[in-house]
Amino acid sequence: MFVDFFYKLRERGIPVTPTSFLRLQKALRLGLVNSLEDFYIAARSILVKSERYFDLYDQVFAYYFRGAELPDPEGLELKEAAKMLLEEWLRDPQGLARALGAGEEELARLTPQQLMEYFLQRIKEQTEAHHGGSKWIGTRGTSPVGHSGHHPGGMRVGGRSQSQSAVKVALDRRYRDYSQEKPLTHAQMGEALKRLRYMIPVGPKDRVNVDKTIYETMRQGGEIEIVLDRRLKDRLKVVLMIDNGGWSMDPYVEVVQLLFNYARDQFKDLKTYFFHNTIYDYVWEDPPRIRKPHRIDEFFRFDPETRLIIVGDASMAPYELMAADGSIHIEERSLHTSLDRLHLLAKVFRHAAWINPRFEHEWNYVRTIQSIRQLFPMFELTLDGLDKAVRHLMKSN
Amino acid sequence: MNSQLQNQRFTGGSKYVLDPELAKIVNISIELELPLLLKGEPGTGKTMLAHAIAEALNMPLIVLNVKSSMKLVDALYQYDTLTRLNDSRFGDSQRDVSNIEEYIKMGKIGQAFASDWRVVLLIDEIDKADTDFQDDMLDVLDQMHFDIIEIDKTIKAKNRPVIIITSNAKKDLSDPFLGRCNFHHIAFPTPEIMREIVGVHFPQLDRDLAKACLETFYRLREIPGVEKKPATRELINWIRALRSDPDFQSGRLSKGEVPYLGVLFKKSSDFVTAAQHIARFRH
Repeated sequence: MFVDFFYKLRERGIPVTPTSFLRLQKALRLGLVNSLEDFYIAARSILVKSERYFDLYDQVFAYYFRGAELPDPEGLELKEAAKMLLEEWLRDPQGLARALGAGEEELARLTPQQLMEYFLQRIKEQTEAHHGGSKWIGTRGTSPVGHSGHHPGGMRVGGRSQSQSAVKVALDRRYRDYSQEKPLTHAQMGEALKRLRYMIPVGPKDRVNVDKTIYETMRQGGEIEIVLDRRLKDRLKVVLMIDNGGWSMDPYVEVVQLLFNYARDQFKDLKTYFFHNTIYDYVWEDPPRIRKPHRIDEFFRFDPETRLIIVGDASMAPYELMAADGSIHIEERSLHTSLDRLHLLAKVFRHAAWINPRFEHEWNYVRTIQSIRQLFPMFELTLDGLDKAVRHLMKSN
Repeated sequence: MNSQLQNQRFTGGSKYVLDPELAKIVNISIELELPLLLKGEPGTGKTMLAHAIAEALNMPLIVLNVKSSMKLVDALYQYDTLTRLNDSRFGDSQRDVSNIEEYIKMGKIGQAFASDWRVVLLIDEIDKADTDFQDDMLDVLDQMHFDIIEIDKTIKAKNRPVIIITSNAKKDLSDPFLGRCNFHHIAFPTPEIMREIVGVHFPQLDRDLAKACLETFYRLREIPGVEKKPATRELINWIRALRSDPDFQSGRLSKGEVPYLGVLFKKSSDFVTAAQHIARFRH
């Protein structure tokens, strides 16, 4: 039963396993499921293992049991368009409000998220009119925020309203907040970086090594011999180089800042440097890149166990990377091509990663990204990417 | 085989307000004999749920508080080598040194297995341990038995415990782990449910005061830039503080004042942010 449903879930990217599907069948057989509501709840708790997929589950459920349409890929474009409107709104609130025929004050009261919703709504209305009214999941009202006017931090708990049908609950899409599109937060960043550790014994010998103690005691025929060890401490050295120049990095400033702040809390031995677009002979310790230059050559004296993390979009004009003396800053003259310098860095630091705030699917379209990728393993600046980067950095060789 | 279970349905505890959706999930997990993994932000009552189940089904509760340094064997049993060594050298106890079994102590999972009654086993904050621990533990809970290597003995569960596992992690647990659990994410309570929760804790609380408190509480939760938002526990403590203050009147809340702010915001940076926010929006 419900095999289609199972495959639909898989198709939409929810990792449901056959085992769990059989388990659901067992629940059905045991008579635990007596209504569609029961099925909605049972199937979710048995099949779906992360709240990030709850929203997707709701969509598939609504589609399967009522024929509500799944959002088409166009939805993504809509989102982009809404984002542009939001930017427009920040620049010129009055003009935009007039264009949309809405009160400026009314809009000003909304939180950014709500605004986004509102814009999305308006764009949708327009495209619908264009296409002659394709069907959309219809819980949104016409008021500026409609149904999503709930508090942004929390989610609605649907169990309250018993009279609601399961499909209705699913249509509510209560778990929207948890779907994967959400940007990185501090806590998530912490989760990802937590594993970046390098434990080595330091300090006085004040830990009893039980195994050795027993061994030594036995060796001496029961005469107790306590063996002490040093404590393990995290002595990971991290060098973080951040591209903080140019408009191309502007959209990512916030998320990079988050990464930087977290890294500062997390690592005791962290050195941060800044550069613009790419690295020539110097990086700078101060963000404006004026006062404290630091020669790249000096890095070659660093402990090779140091983890090097470079954050940048790696997007620039090809000559900046390939040509000797390629810097766009007149005062930054160099005999080496940036590519050479990066190559050297990659050779000195065996554990290095390049974290790129641009999405992975864009990488193939930028030549300089491709060149740099050949030198440094590159990862997306997303939770997933960070996780992979950390795993790569902790590899023993 | 489930006859004894079937009449044991979970409907909620005396101090716990149960979402009917969650009640169904708990019942399904009990009958499918699967551990139930609960996630959700702190203060959504994950741990409380296990207590409520134990109370409602009248079973003893065994709590395993997972720590980061924990090894699986610690949760199963402990071989007290030090006592044995001591006994063997000084021999001043009643124990028989040659019988290792006398030096085996059961850990929390061991206790749950060895118990003569069916118990509720709460494994709290599983995310603190490393993934090996998590996977190995699920093996044990799957098979319902483990070996004590030192005495070559297998401990089998007399009764399959009701297993509740909680996790605070933002990150997902490993796939094999998730594959063996039922999963639920507890959302933060809506104001209506919160009203009930408050009602359970303070049965004689004045209606207007409760309303004012909740409104303020949910408004405070929305202050941007706060790292640790106040949760249920903070709200309960806050109401307790307000009630114990003889000078307090509920009208003050609707004016935007928030006394005892420190009860709600426990991090000093959050406290400052919240205080500034309140000062700005006072009317």
